[in-house]
Amino acid sequence: MNMEDSRPVNYQRLISEESTVSADSAFTWEDCQADIYEQLPSSQKRLQNKEQAQEAEDHIILNQSLKMLPLCIQEKRNLRSRQNSESCKIGYWASWKRSQEIARRRMREQLGRVVSGLLLWKSTLHNIEGRFGVGVKAYFVFLRYLLCLNFLNCVILAGFVISPSLLRKNSFKNFKHNSSFLDIFLGTGFMEHSPVFYGFYKNMSFGAECLNTALLFLFGMLIILLLNLIMIVRRTVVGYKNSSLTGLHFTENVSYKVFCGWDFCIREPEAASLKHNLIRNELKMDLEEQKFRQKVLGRSLKQWILLYVLRIVLNIVVLLILGGSIYLIYSATTINPECYKFHWTLNLPCSYVSPITITVVNFLVPHFFSAITVYEDYSLTTQLNVTLVRSILLKLGSLAIYLFFLITKDNKNNNNSCGETEFGKEMYKLTIFQLLAFFCNTFLVAYPRKLLVEKCSSSNMSRKVGKQQFVITMNVLDLVYSQTVTWVGVFYCPLLPAISIFKLLAIFYISKFNVKQCCGPARKMFRTTSSSVLFHLMLLLGLIMSFVTLGFNIKLFVPSRCGPFLEYHTVFNVTSQCVSTLPYAAKEGIRYMTSEAFAFSLILTEIIILTSYVSRKQSNQKSMERLKEMLVMCSSDKRYLVKHHATLLKRKKTTVRRRAV
Amino acid sequence: MGTTATKLPKDQLSEYQELTFLTKQEILLAHKRFTELLNRNDRQQINSRVPMSKICTLPELKSNPFQKRICHVFSTSEIKDGSLSFEDFLDLLSAFSDSATLEIKSHYAFRIFDFDDDGTLDYGDLEKLVNCLTGESADTKLTSEEMNQLINNILEESDIDKDGTVNLSEFQHVISRSPDFVSSFKIVL
Repeated sequence: MNMEDSRPVNYQRLISEESTVSADSAFTWEDCQADIYEQLPSSQKRLQNKEQAQEAEDHIILNQSLKMLPLCIQEKRNLRSRQNSESCKIGYWASWKRSQEIARRRMREQLGRVVSGLLLWKSTLHNIEGRFGVGVKAYFVFLRYLLCLNFLNCVILAGFVISPSLLRKNSFKNFKHNSSFLDIFLGTGFMEHSPVFYGFYKNMSFGAECLNTALLFLFGMLIILLLNLIMIVRRTVVGYKNSSLTGLHFTENVSYKVFCGWDFCIREPEAASLKHNLIRNELKMDLEEQKFRQKVLGRSLKQWILLYVLRIVLNIVVLLILGGSIYLIYSATTINPECYKFHWTLNLPCSYVSPITITVVNFLVPHFFSAITVYEDYSLTTQLNVTLVRSILLKLGSLAIYLFFLITKDNKNNNNSCGETEFGKEMYKLTIFQLLAFFCNTFLVAYPRKLLVEKCSSSNMSRKVGKQQFVITMNVLDLVYSQTVTWVGVFYCPLLPAISIFKLLAIFYISKFNVKQCCGPARKMFRTTSSSVLFHLMLLLGLIMSFVTLGFNIKLFVPSRCGPFLEYHTVFNVTSQCVSTLPYAAKEGIRYMTSEAFAFSLILTEIIILTSYVSRKQSNQKSMERLKEMLVMCSSDKRYLVKHHATLLKRKKTTVRRRAV
Repeated sequence: MGTTATKLPKDQLSEYQELTFLTKQEILLAHKRFTELLNRNDRQQINSRVPMSKICTLPELKSNPFQKRICHVFSTSEIKDGSLSFEDFLDLLSAFSDSATLEIKSHYAFRIFDFDDDGTLDYGDLEKLVNCLTGESADTKLTSEEMNQLINNILEESDIDKDGTVNLSEFQHVISRSPDFVSSFKIVL
């Protein structure tokens, strides 16, 4: 500290001396400092030149691929020739091993390339990414992921559920010939007795007690749901790990936005200027938000009270809307049966009343929510999140309510018809109708709108309307919703995954058209990693909801007059009958696995493992803090020493010079 | 086009495959695009260079605000004019390819953002970087007050050792926490 105080004085004196001595020895204290900095070992390494790769580095490099080095081709070539000459020295065996390693590495790369080439729509996605940025691509990648998931489900179902039944049942018995085109949309007529629905499947034994279609059916369904759960949790966790590393203040991470802000894939000047705008707006928004936070701190008590009253009122409004839409859906479900008295042309819209209501409500209300949040005086990101949460509540909530009413209704009028098939039919209708709605939205709303905007671009009105925007979150919510319907319905309509494969394919091409032809790029920024975590979290929510519904359904429904579980009291009786035929040891084993003792020990081990992880995390955090502190100390020490050294050097030089004069 | 003299020899092709992240098809495509940029007379020579102004007319780089920096970083030209030889061009494409690692990409990104080539990102570098991102004309620039606040925020976050600049390891630390970087730091022909 003593030194620090005396330094400026010294510096002044030196400069004044220098000006009197000579002009050409313009050797300032700062130059000196820079010289020393350049001589530091760490900067030597950073300013790596050809010498750097010489000795010590060679051994590290041998083990990794040459392309991993940030050098230009000529330098890599030199390095490799040196390696080759060395390999002559080190003998036949080692060089053979190395060449084998290279060959294996090449093969692995080739394989990886082939596998990644098999991925669907690679070039299309690439194209979209180039034109619209990473955010829109994330939506399409999510769509592809759902498609793969459904394909996997389809394969499993084909193996466990559909093929055994088809094998045993050679002909379609109840085939009705007076089938009409409408049946495909309604799931009635011949559809009712086709493999699409639950009613088709009968319990048939393959000889052994434990090998019947009912058990295979249950087994297949359980495998699907568990597999999906595992896959989604895994993806969510991977994404979460990536985004949680960025810390709690991810949205405020400015250096990230600056360093990774530019999307180098962009090649169209329009997109580039748009990106400029996006980045500028986002940076400004962040700065605004920083100021907003300061403003929040300075709010008076009266303002707080007013704001809270406003927020409470608006939340009540939101609740009222939610309640209203739920009531609408409820009334739509109860109206349904009286419809069939009318003429057949009314039949289609009539039996679609509830899907129509649900879709219309889901389409309109989120817009209203996003309008409401503007008045609540939240910061911008909170506004977006609040809208999203409310929309999720609406979407999954309305679906849940619909399902609940369906279940209770089906339980009430438990007459001759097959309740499970009816339930499956509703899910089937929801799936089909969503696709229809999507189709209509694109070709009857978005496309004419775009034509209107382009045709009369001069008029004030059309400029105000503008092109439709591709709002990624809402579109993803749609996908999550349809996947949830698939999961809920799969038990009662085993072909639903196959149907949703076709549906997703159609959605892909329609939304590709939509994005490319009708939409202007969205004005709100979207980030891949954080958003993909969000997408998968939503999906997980949907899956959990469908678990709950299925559990309820299976528990509540006494197997009615159809389906594979006809002879059993409840669905799970199938397994207990199978278990009772097993040998004693296996029986005991299974009994232990399902007993409380086993569950207890399982939970205990989990607790122990978790505790160890948590404590390890805490200790790591502590050491991280300490290392950070050490870094700061080191660098300040370094700077201090360099300054000190520079002043000493300077003083020495001036004394030498003075003596020379 | 399509003269036999402009074709790549086979051994060279496999060498490039080994030394870069590019596939055979990509290298061939790069070669085709590169020879299109060359003058007719220069096509026969292996080491002929394309000046920076011509490289920047490539549609992949045309709207990139960092085009000049990219040329300067990858150029091995002795007079530092940012001109690229074919191998430099391959280096560029390799660093920006799909399969390049985060390490490589962040290294080159750092060099691209280091406008004065002094090995650290200081206040001036960051200011230029932000201007590149927001657009350089007067009405798109941030005001000096905003800029000051922004750069202070950046330094507060990523300057771990508090020396007023962001060095390579600090930069890589920031980048490594943002996996989107690999997918956006990409140029494909």
